[in-house]
Amino acid sequence: MKPFFKTILKYYLKYITRLVLFIHQPKIIAVAGSTNKSFVRDEIKKVLLEKGRTVRANPKNFNTEIGLPLAILGVGSGYGAYYDWLPIIGDAIRAIWRKDFPEYLVLELGVSQRGDMAYLLSIIRPEICVIADITQRYLEAFSGLDQLLQEYEYLVKNTKNSGRVILNYDNLQIRHLAKRAKAEVIYFGRIVPAEEGFRIEDIERTEKGESAGIRYKNLHKKLHIPRFGEHHVYAAAVGVIMQENI
Amino acid sequence: MAGTGHCPVPAGENILYYIYMFERTKNLKLSVIKQMEIRAAKFPNTISLAQGVPSFDTPKCIKRRVELALRQGVVAKYSLSPGIAELRELIEVKLAEQNMFYDFEKEILVTAGSIEGITATILAITDPGDEVIIPEPTYTSYREVIILAGVTPVYVSLSEDKGWAFELEEYEKAITPRTKAIFYCNPNNPTGTIYSKEQLLGLAELAEKHNLYLISDEVYKDFIFENGQSIFSLAEMPELRRRVIRLFSFSKSYAMTGWRTGYLHSDESIVQEILKVHDCLVTCAPVISQYAAMGALEMGDKDVKFFNHEYEKRRDLICARLDKLSHIFSYVRPESAYYVFPRIIKKDMKLDDYDCPDSFSWRFALHLLEKTQVAVVPGVAFGPSGENHIRISFGRSEKDINCAFDRLDKLFL
Repeated sequence: MKPFFKTILKYYLKYITRLVLFIHQPKIIAVAGSTNKSFVRDEIKKVLLEKGRTVRANPKNFNTEIGLPLAILGVGSGYGAYYDWLPIIGDAIRAIWRKDFPEYLVLELGVSQRGDMAYLLSIIRPEICVIADITQRYLEAFSGLDQLLQEYEYLVKNTKNSGRVILNYDNLQIRHLAKRAKAEVIYFGRIVPAEEGFRIEDIERTEKGESAGIRYKNLHKKLHIPRFGEHHVYAAAVGVIMQENI
Repeated sequence: MAGTGHCPVPAGENILYYIYMFERTKNLKLSVIKQMEIRAAKFPNTISLAQGVPSFDTPKCIKRRVELALRQGVVAKYSLSPGIAELRELIEVKLAEQNMFYDFEKEILVTAGSIEGITATILAITDPGDEVIIPEPTYTSYREVIILAGVTPVYVSLSEDKGWAFELEEYEKAITPRTKAIFYCNPNNPTGTIYSKEQLLGLAELAEKHNLYLISDEVYKDFIFENGQSIFSLAEMPELRRRVIRLFSFSKSYAMTGWRTGYLHSDESIVQEILKVHDCLVTCAPVISQYAAMGALEMGDKDVKFFNHEYEKRRDLICARLDKLSHIFSYVRPESAYYVFPRIIKKDMKLDDYDCPDSFSWRFALHLLEKTQVAVVPGVAFGPSGENHIRISFGRSEKDINCAFDRLDKLFL
């Protein structure tokens, strides 16, 4: 796609999306981080559906300047083909009048260079944000981890004051993002004290997946997750936080 | 120079030194497919239906992802040995869509094409002197990798009469105390067969009974030509995760043969051992290709569907053209991949003496090449049961297929 057309498309989608969000007023839950975003997003969506809420989450990689508005509007992508974009441009505007717009949007946010988060947050204002995990391994065009962290700081600062900021306590950099939050902070992780956050305990691999316990103050839950990998336990912990907070 | 039978020995050198050289490689052969390509290159105007290369270029969405990675300057350095974490996470998501649940941190390994994954797997799970059972006819390079590892390939024939299906009792007979694994390709190259769930579960039972690994090469799994048909993988069964090592390549599904990237997955206890070999062999898969693979998983679904549709049309075309030559060939209609593996039923043809192994399918393939400049692969390359067959690829365009069969028609009709 030519840069000129891409720029026009980007701003068209941005303003249509802002209008749609203004009209329908969904609650937005943003999920960010360098890994485990997708599984956390899916877990939150699952919990909301179990609670009988209507939800839309971004499919696959629809988490950037073009993809995020498409995910919110519930339309596909034309990728690199101009003619494939024509019906999508029409469908995008029809989202204004849709009667079945969901109550919740669970949106994975992807950042690959400085300023990406600011752009995405010029479209949405989250009620709740979750920072799943941040690693040094995937910095893309950032000069270093500090610059990447500034993106997440921006998200934490711009989450609604009345909302929640949910942070992975086990990652020191993420834990320190709490200082920037104006909203209530909720931690999860293996090393967080159970008085301060949702503590993951006794992770064990079974023949059928992972099992673990979640402890928070007087709450204690045993989880059996039919997936393999500790990251699923972290995603499930976010799910428990959602069950308790929505 | 004196000769040792293996290599020329410079005058004055110790001949014993040379006798013991190349012990590891002396029994390896250059793949027959590549040999045919080399022979075909000597003829002007050859149409090659030999090598399994898609006629399509890599989809644009994948190239754009690579261009972005290049612009961002993230491709010049090694990745982690198992691969870029975000790619492995995407692979985990993709696998979960297919009912396979593996941990991207510890159980998914990005490889330099599936052949590197196969090599690392065989080297990790076997010891010299072991045996690996291969259903045949099957992909030619399995044999070479197994021999390279000092392991003996044991062929078990597929049943052509039953549409190239497994005959489980034959596997039971082939198992010895040295057997370490059964290594199959599903859908199978060169026959285009999709093994049924029942057949695969039978194989799994045998593996449980005799404590064997099952290596499942599923590089053609995205191509299914019959409506409603699906490909079952033993890697879907949690109780088999310590037995099954499943391999996939981006080469065929996403027209990325030149990028050399694929992946394997299994239980952590196995993958962590394979990882050590992978690290010795390549350190990591090419990073630029890993970004291409990310593009493929993020945006390539539409292209895979398009390729599948095109290959289905080509399968129908090639079968129609083979039907016209029914006095020469009989065949089992392929359900997947992009090969057809016809039996040569007319055996009384006068074929010249070619400089090739003593095999009818070899001489027939060279006869076609010389008389029509159409390159195909002699069936014997895929195992003893492949003799009297040829493999024809329909990875090439419809125009090439029609042109090649026009030439065959001229020869045979």
